[in-house]
Amino acid sequence: MSDDFNPKILGFLCNWCCYAAADAAGVSRFQYPPNLRTIRVMCTGRVDPAFIVRGFIEGADGIFTGG
Amino acid sequence: MGKGMEHRAGSVMVVGGGIAGVQAALDLTELGYYVYLVEKAPVVGGVMAQLDKTFPTNDCSL
Amino acid sequence: MLTNADLLALDGKPGDFTAKIRQRPRYIDADNCTACGLCTQYCPKHLVDPYNEGLALTRPIHIDYAQAVPATYYIDPSSCLHLTHDTCQICVPVCQSHAINFSQQPEEISLKIGAVILSPGFGRISKETLAKFSYGKHPDIVTAVEFERMTTASGPFLGEVKCFSDGRHPKSIAFIQCVGSRDLGCNNGYCSSVCCMYAIKEALVAKEHDPEVDITVYYMDIRTQGKEFDKAQLRAEAMGIKFVRAKVADVTPWENRLQLTYSTLDGRHEFVPHDMVVLSVGLEAPKDAHGIAKITGIELNQYDFAKSDTFDPLTTNVDGVVVAGAFQGPKDIPESVTQASAAAGLVAGMLEKQRGQGIVHTEYPEEKAMGEEVRIGVFVCHCGINIASVVDVHKVEDSVEDMEGVVYHTDSLYSCSADAVETLKERIIEHNLNRVVIAACSPRTHEPLFQETLKSAGLNRCLIEMVNIRDQCSWVHAGEPDAATNKSEDLVRMAVAKARGMQPLPEQTVPVTPKAVIVGAGIAGMTVALTLADQGFDSVLLEKGKTLGGNLGLLNHTLDASETAAKLKQLVAKVKKNKKIDVITSAELVDFSGFVGNFSSVVASGKKEHTIDHGVVVLATGGHEHRPGGYLLDENKKVLTQMELEKRLAGRAKNRAPDSIVMIQCAGSRGDDLKYCSKVCCNHAVKNALQIKELNPDSQVIVLYRDMRTYGYAEDAYREARLKGVIFIPYEIENRPEVYEKGRKLHVKFFDELMQEEMDITPDLVALSVGIVPDGTEDLSKLLKAPLTDDKFFLEAHVKLRPVELPVSGVYVCGLAHGPKPVDETIAQAQAAAAKAAIPLVKGAVSVDPIVSTVDQDKCIGCSLCVSLCPFGAIEMIKVGKRRKAQTISASCKACGICSSHCPTFAISMGGFTNEQITDQIIAFGGVKEKETADVA
Repeated sequence: MSDDFNPKILGFLCNWCCYAAADAAGVSRFQYPPNLRTIRVMCTGRVDPAFIVRGFIEGADGIFTGG
Repeated sequence: MGKGMEHRAGSVMVVGGGIAGVQAALDLTELGYYVYLVEKAPVVGGVMAQLDKTFPTNDCSL
Repeated sequence: MLTNADLLALDGKPGDFTAKIRQRPRYIDADNCTACGLCTQYCPKHLVDPYNEGLALTRPIHIDYAQAVPATYYIDPSSCLHLTHDTCQICVPVCQSHAINFSQQPEEISLKIGAVILSPGFGRISKETLAKFSYGKHPDIVTAVEFERMTTASGPFLGEVKCFSDGRHPKSIAFIQCVGSRDLGCNNGYCSSVCCMYAIKEALVAKEHDPEVDITVYYMDIRTQGKEFDKAQLRAEAMGIKFVRAKVADVTPWENRLQLTYSTLDGRHEFVPHDMVVLSVGLEAPKDAHGIAKITGIELNQYDFAKSDTFDPLTTNVDGVVVAGAFQGPKDIPESVTQASAAAGLVAGMLEKQRGQGIVHTEYPEEKAMGEEVRIGVFVCHCGINIASVVDVHKVEDSVEDMEGVVYHTDSLYSCSADAVETLKERIIEHNLNRVVIAACSPRTHEPLFQETLKSAGLNRCLIEMVNIRDQCSWVHAGEPDAATNKSEDLVRMAVAKARGMQPLPEQTVPVTPKAVIVGAGIAGMTVALTLADQGFDSVLLEKGKTLGGNLGLLNHTLDASETAAKLKQLVAKVKKNKKIDVITSAELVDFSGFVGNFSSVVASGKKEHTIDHGVVVLATGGHEHRPGGYLLDENKKVLTQMELEKRLAGRAKNRAPDSIVMIQCAGSRGDDLKYCSKVCCNHAVKNALQIKELNPDSQVIVLYRDMRTYGYAEDAYREARLKGVIFIPYEIENRPEVYEKGRKLHVKFFDELMQEEMDITPDLVALSVGIVPDGTEDLSKLLKAPLTDDKFFLEAHVKLRPVELPVSGVYVCGLAHGPKPVDETIAQAQAAAAKAAIPLVKGAVSVDPIVSTVDQDKCIGCSLCVSLCPFGAIEMIKVGKRRKAQTISASCKACGICSSHCPTFAISMGGFTNEQITDQIIAFGGVKEKETADVA
């Protein structure tokens, strides 16, 4: 392992706002670190706490919900 | 879009493809009419597309 | 859609017009252009970018912005080297999809149409007018549109505000209001109605970028009269933005700064430096207004906008031609959107008999059976170089080789191109695929296209999962190809995991009862009923009073001097005569249930109760004058409201126009009992003041105001009132005028900002501009589960884009129930509400996106937690045998999933986003870690 902490982040993005914003970031060619893996949901209301627990179990270093 | 004469019953021409024209065209389509949206510029959207945010909520305008 | 097109001629009559259009060539074939942008990179010529207000450079071959529609590039013929000098053509071989075609010629097209909507927008204030403020003499004087592009995060400066002169960040910015508005010098006597709002917005944005920046707005009146607009102004003040009431006379460049010359109300002359000056430019009539008028035959008003009438705001003098948007008069986005819907509604009424004849229907093959076996096909898109220049597309494609369920994979240059879509369809059939994963761009833009393809290949449209490896991967990790490839592989693996669990979801439609219930029979409600009747729909018009007409019956005339009584009489007669409108007076809505298309209302009227089944409901409940305390209203009979004054002036009493009167604006509004501005009171005061001057020219009329909000053409009346000797004196909120009795005299005490002294006068009458409060919205809000604003008006679904719809599907709002507004705006809004309400009625069925929730009633324990949590009222409890069970009302469900994530027994499942699918995605995400560790080791 290298010394640099290279976290794996799981993201739940709301289709209407955060996912759209992530698209807009792309359109604007904003650059950000490639550590995020996303799951699109129709609303962050869909995010069951169980998903977050499961994310950590599966090895996420951090979980992001955007909505 | 074909050349020459187009004929469709129940069609409406909207002149100007800014926010008003686009909204009118969308509503007419939903109401069961065929719409020709005629816009001078190469893109629709008009001035609203130039705006960054909108008053008073400062939402994104796109 | 005909872009790059000019209207040349219009002939014919309503229902049968012929329009001649000339379409100029764009030199790029729209069917082939994939908007990859390669051509712009290679184009050798520079062009000042008009989209960015000249703040950036682009190339003759370009697209204005990434989200442009149509998403086809365009060659500017006035700057392209080939089109101007017959050279170059570098772009032609560069384009991989062979879309560039210099042989295109202008085409003339004739259209047969039934009606025309004119929405050409507005024009720019001339350079000569701007030059009065030294625009063009110094680079740090910019227009508000230029400033907007500057503060745009995706704009040429990435949102950074810089002085053009030397690139420094301005420490102080001045906004000058009313540039090209309220200015007879450039023949724009009207108020543009939007500049105060955008100036505040831009000032707030600039302040967000740099909290240290000092911003001053120089204004005559702050006209934030729209719904909830005053709050934004207060927020701006709280953030330290300064508002100075002064007309700026001159801007003088002085060393590297700009000196503003102005004088304030109290007579002080100031000479103040700023780093940057923003001109709040007004809206002018469109440049080609005269051309449009000539072609279509419509009349223009004195300012070259379309001529319009208070009671028919959108119709023109030419039958079959209606106007909408800023061409009808300067206005903001929600007003434009409202008028657009209204215009659509009017046209739909005119062409009722032709409805549906021009619409093209697409047929799809029957869906084939799924079979047990999971057969996933993975398609990875290069998007030209957009993805492939960063992500190793072949590596991503190869990574799915051994994944469970994947039976086919391939790549394609452009998955969305017409031929690739055809190929996708063939592959689905050839390999008997029953689930599709496409790794390309955003499902938000392209999923509908691929869903269509699935349908045409005989698959349910829910059997696709898109992976966004462009917008959210290659574009944002351009410098890290390995990491981006890795991320793409992960995302594809997660998508495949989800895809395994995808199931076909039934397309649900719910039939619609083709009838509307309209609550309130004022001008708004009656207009809705008539507009719907024109389109062929029945409605039931409920009125709580005994007569129709509402507040309009209390008015005598409008500002443009139309008699209201005659109009109202006509309107009421029309409503009563119309067979499609059923009027119930003394009516009260006592119960309401159901969902869009299938509402059921119980209406009490006298001793009778009616049950009405209907598809939509429009709320037009209106409002009434507020009666504020503290001004002796109802205590001294010399104190009246503007409405009472209007009635008195319309009467026959000899002394009906007093010899002296004080009008107090915002009595009870804008921070008094009511927090908001009621939009109509300034016009009302000016109207009554003019009437008094008409009857009694020697009368002393004093108007005490905070900001005179005579926006739009009402500015003309305000000017007229001043010319006729009406005295307007501003007051500050902390120094409200005081009305009191002493002996038998009525006194008004106020601070005269002009003379800088305390005044105490004894007028014959005091008229209060009292503001408007909504009627009965709280009860209706509970009954319909429709939210209200803090001020008790109904809250629309989207302030800008859905101004007449409520968040509850099938419920619409217009008139004073939505917010205070004058008659013409009420009528346009009512027409818009009627147009929107007609949409489900026309369709006859409400189609439901299949991703709604479903309740497994075997698992449901009937706790009804979901019912209380659902923000859309989309879950109901029903009796199944002896037990209570939850059930989704599909037509109301918005697929948010709150119910599903809270259900204690996991009984609620979301179509396309099941617990299992998301968990599988998370597990597939987990696979990342193991592999990563293995790689590193």
